[in-house]
Amino acid sequence: MINMTKLWQSAPPLFGVQHKLTILEGRETMNQTTVHPYKRSVSIIGVGCTPFMYTVDKEETNGLTEGELFGYAALKAMEDAGVNPQNVDFYFHGEASPLNASNYLTPNIQIANWFGMKGKASIHHSEACCTGYYAVEQAVNAVASGKYDCVLSGCVEFGDSLAVPNHPYKREKVTMERFLQTTAWLYDRAYTRSLMAGQELIYDDAAEWYKRTRGITDQQMDDTLNWMCINNRRNASVNPLAIERRTYESLAKEAGFDNVMDYMRSPYNPRMGDFLRASGLELKCDGAAAVVVCATELVDKYMGNKSHKPVEVLGIGCAACEATTPHFEVRATEEAVRQAYEVTGVKPSEIDIFYANDFIITSHLVAAEIAGYLPYGEGWKYICEGRTAYDGDKPINTNGGRTSFGHAHAASGLADLYEAVRQMRGEAGEGQVKRLPKTAMLRGYGGAQNICTYIIRTAD
Amino acid sequence: MAIELEKVVETFYENLEKGKITGKRCTKCGAVEFPPVYACNSCGCWDMEWVEISGKAKMRSIVMPAPLSMKPEYKAMGKFAYGEIELEEGTLLNGVVRGINKKKRKEILEADALPVNVHAAIYQRDGFKTVVFDLDEA
Repeated sequence: MINMTKLWQSAPPLFGVQHKLTILEGRETMNQTTVHPYKRSVSIIGVGCTPFMYTVDKEETNGLTEGELFGYAALKAMEDAGVNPQNVDFYFHGEASPLNASNYLTPNIQIANWFGMKGKASIHHSEACCTGYYAVEQAVNAVASGKYDCVLSGCVEFGDSLAVPNHPYKREKVTMERFLQTTAWLYDRAYTRSLMAGQELIYDDAAEWYKRTRGITDQQMDDTLNWMCINNRRNASVNPLAIERRTYESLAKEAGFDNVMDYMRSPYNPRMGDFLRASGLELKCDGAAAVVVCATELVDKYMGNKSHKPVEVLGIGCAACEATTPHFEVRATEEAVRQAYEVTGVKPSEIDIFYANDFIITSHLVAAEIAGYLPYGEGWKYICEGRTAYDGDKPINTNGGRTSFGHAHAASGLADLYEAVRQMRGEAGEGQVKRLPKTAMLRGYGGAQNICTYIIRTAD
Repeated sequence: MAIELEKVVETFYENLEKGKITGKRCTKCGAVEFPPVYACNSCGCWDMEWVEISGKAKMRSIVMPAPLSMKPEYKAMGKFAYGEIELEEGTLLNGVVRGINKKKRKEILEADALPVNVHAAIYQRDGFKTVVFDLDEA
């Protein structure tokens, strides 16, 4: 039995991060995994991403299909990598809810002919909102093992619409009632739904935990949540792929407020949770993203005359806590982050840019502090000072995060990777961070609840 | 002990119908799994025995229900909150605690009284019974 108390008391010298857990007299136990280095190095050589959109709302996008979205992202990634589809050995396909949204049982097969890989093997996976992160884990493992040299991993989601049964391309908006009905399927039928608390704590547990363990006030917590939304939106405002680009400053002005925080605290931004306001919720939408990885030793073979540097995947940590587990996001993030740092030898001080799946905005703060990217108990101040926006010194979710870039559930994780790689190449345009990042950490979360955290670094 | 195909879930709910709140205790390390499952998550042993839990517990965190975390049927529970529960047996889980509203939470937090004592209760939902907790009276 692993004693988490003892483990984390010994953690600071190892990771250089100060961790303070709720100590439960030695009863806080959670299984752990020792992660080993890859058998061979794997690098990201190409990324692709669609705009995130409400497809049925616009004539030019209404009627787009799974094959068209996934195929676009896949081909963009292959074009970016400089590879021909026929040279890609295998592909992974992620979609959080294919039966519900697409009426597909085997969605990887339904789109198999769209991007020049007919006959190539593939597999579908879903970890709900964490799918796009496990998309990287699985692709890297497939190459690191030596079985394949070059692999595509893509994800697609219609989070805002459902396939019209028996029609080849028409879709209809998903109602909130249907959305809530299907999100309930994320939770264990035998016990968790019955006991009620697990699925309801997703909205506010992390905020309660942060406020209590850091000793900040309700007002400070509220301001921090609001500032995360403001910063996310500022980031999205300079990202042409983001679904919502109107800054909160401009929305406040339109509504007659001189001060953006007065607007954020107003009924224009109502409380939806115990702590959470409407601005802190995902904008569920449609989109796709993809990545091509290959063995680092074969980069020259695959990339040909492409001039951008590959980005090496140094290591990935994964954990999961079913929703009955108290503080499931916190606990699983701690374990995944521990694995990632341990297997890579990277220190938190080496992380230049950070991404966190923040479909509940609080994740963004909690994950960054657990990772040591922001100092313990001080992260909320960095956020409220705007230091985590794209033009700050500690950038987080430079694409706008789930509350502004949008959340096409499975695809969002790979959209984060797309953004991280573009930033690391210096190709992020108006939203480029001040100092070219060399090392990034990305933390995925979802599916009640999977956590997948990885560290990537630009090759020398 | 041989691994057996067992209707653990049905038994758990049938026990609730009989007024008993049950979990599974590991015969090797003594950890109690609640709700009950096949194997011990503390040591991995699958030799587990049924045990009736005492019902004594502590609530370690408090989150109030809100529009996103409220369902119409929950109103029948009266005032309640969600939070981290630690059973006397050491098991940790997320649970519902009745008897807490915003005012009560404020009193608890201002008195720095967490964790607060609670006790398990059997609660009738639509078609089955489940387990909630009640705040102990001071």
